Amino acid sequence: MTTSALPALSDIPEAAIPGLLRIENSDRDATTPIILDMLRSVYPHDQIFGDFCPVQGFIEAPPRELYEYLADTRCLEEWTYSLRGFTETAEPGLWVSHDRLGDNTNIYTRTVANPDAMTVDYHCAWDQSEHLWMIYLMRVVDAQVVFDKPGSVVLWTNCHHPFYDRNPYQDTAPDKRKVWVGDFWEMFSAGHQLELDNLRAIAEYRAAHGLPIKPDWMSE
Amino acid sequence: MDFTDPTLRTPPVSLADVSGYLPGDPVGTEYFTQFSRSDRMAKNVMFRAPKGRHHVGRDETAVDMVERAVAPLVERHGAREISNIDVLLTHTQLPDNPVLGPGPEVARRLGMKPRWVFDIHNGGCAAFVHMMWTARMILQTTDARTALIACTQNCAGPVFTQSDIRGLAQAPVPGDGCGVGLLVKNNSAPILDIECRTYPEFAGDMEFSTNGDRKYWEPGAGQGCVTFTESKVAKVMTRGNRLVPEVAQAVCKRIGVKSSDIDTFVTNQPNRLFLRNWNEAMELPPERHPDTFDSCGNLFAAGIPVTLDAENRAGRLRNGSVVLMAAFAHAGDFAGAAAVRWGAAR
Repeated sequence: MTTSALPALSDIPEAAIPGLLRIENSDRDATTPIILDMLRSVYPHDQIFGDFCPVQGFIEAPPRELYEYLADTRCLEEWTYSLRGFTETAEPGLWVSHDRLGDNTNIYTRTVANPDAMTVDYHCAWDQSEHLWMIYLMRVVDAQVVFDKPGSVVLWTNCHHPFYDRNPYQDTAPDKRKVWVGDFWEMFSAGHQLELDNLRAIAEYRAAHGLPIKPDWMSE
Repeated sequence: MDFTDPTLRTPPVSLADVSGYLPGDPVGTEYFTQFSRSDRMAKNVMFRAPKGRHHVGRDETAVDMVERAVAPLVERHGAREISNIDVLLTHTQLPDNPVLGPGPEVARRLGMKPRWVFDIHNGGCAAFVHMMWTARMILQTTDARTALIACTQNCAGPVFTQSDIRGLAQAPVPGDGCGVGLLVKNNSAPILDIECRTYPEFAGDMEFSTNGDRKYWEPGAGQGCVTFTESKVAKVMTRGNRLVPEVAQAVCKRIGVKSSDIDTFVTNQPNRLFLRNWNEAMELPPERHPDTFDSCGNLFAAGIPVTLDAENRAGRLRNGSVVLMAAFAHAGDFAGAAAVRWGAAR
């Protein structure tokens, strides 16, 4: 019996990638202590939330309905902390609202959703709609599959785009606004968790009371 | 034996004693809530602020505070030992004279003629560790035998009770106090290791502003205060969360002690959140991370020695135990940690 019939790594000279740990060069006895050493009881905030901001949770509501709710940009009016007053622009699918974290601040949002994968990506930006660089990646998973129980798992990841540290669109910013969205990056993990908690509370209330997860006004 | 080990060639230096001084009667939080701009803010202040703090009197100088903090050392070690100090280092939060530190006058007041006197400004809330590091170097490399280090925090009363400032949510958090340490070239309470790091990338994020265009030395309206921009608060918080455990862990690693085995961990005490986060990061039960926040507020550089003194007087520091100190300064431009095998138990 062979361990592999596939020509794995045949395109790369042996030892060309140092530090690659595979069962062939590091057996279980050698690798187990390495893995145990990587486990910690406390992880530095920066290591978990430095370049990525992952939050996730279980929601007791049907996944397909939850997906359809999230796929409608107007849902952000309900479960986000600070996005309010959504109106569709002249450009179909592009919505403008206020991000009340900043004074006088417009935020533009285009939602890209895939019903097969149940992914919902919000492409957003403050002040201008030409370059939607703030991208909130969400995925709804059927909890029956991953937890063997009814409900939804929501995975939400955000990547630390360099514009969070430096606004390249200064000319579109309102006069005298003191804050920039990236100033809040360090708070995103807690802020997004707060918003995911909002989403859970709203969806679970509707599910428990027999209301549609996506309210009727959103379908009009 | 590793004969290249520098510790074999340098004499041990001990933190032989600590002492503290808190000025005046405690000031209750009601003093500040009466100036809060709303009931909501008053409640927030009650929740976040310490229950009490001390405010330095209008005519009490940093020199006065150091003299009072040193008095118990004079009592315990004798006036002669203190007047024979070779090295005097001071750190003052708000110098009484902006162009001159208090060192020479402290020496005169204590009857000392030290050969090395430095007034040091950049250690901020980590100044006690910073000065242990500097004093140890002088003791190890010269014939100097003893050093006195003094940290004075004296901006709570003068700055944070100004009429425009006292209504701010952060006004009730600082408190005044002074803490001093006696370092001796011997093995009675040896400094096991010290780590001091400067982070230039975080320099300049803290400002002293008069809330207007006026420079602080120019005449005119506008009350002076240390400020961070609103947007920097989260950044400073995250840095502080990281920096203090980072330097503390570096020292633990070098002295071969797991952070969870440290007997007593003493840090600066800017607020309750930092205290909680640091003790979680070090995996220590809260009782092994004592502080004086509730009765003294944020004591800036004086926090470490004042808390050490309070713990020592309460009999909670056992000789032979490992005491780890750690702190960060300003908006994160400096951090330091020092471990001592305690030898000054009361």
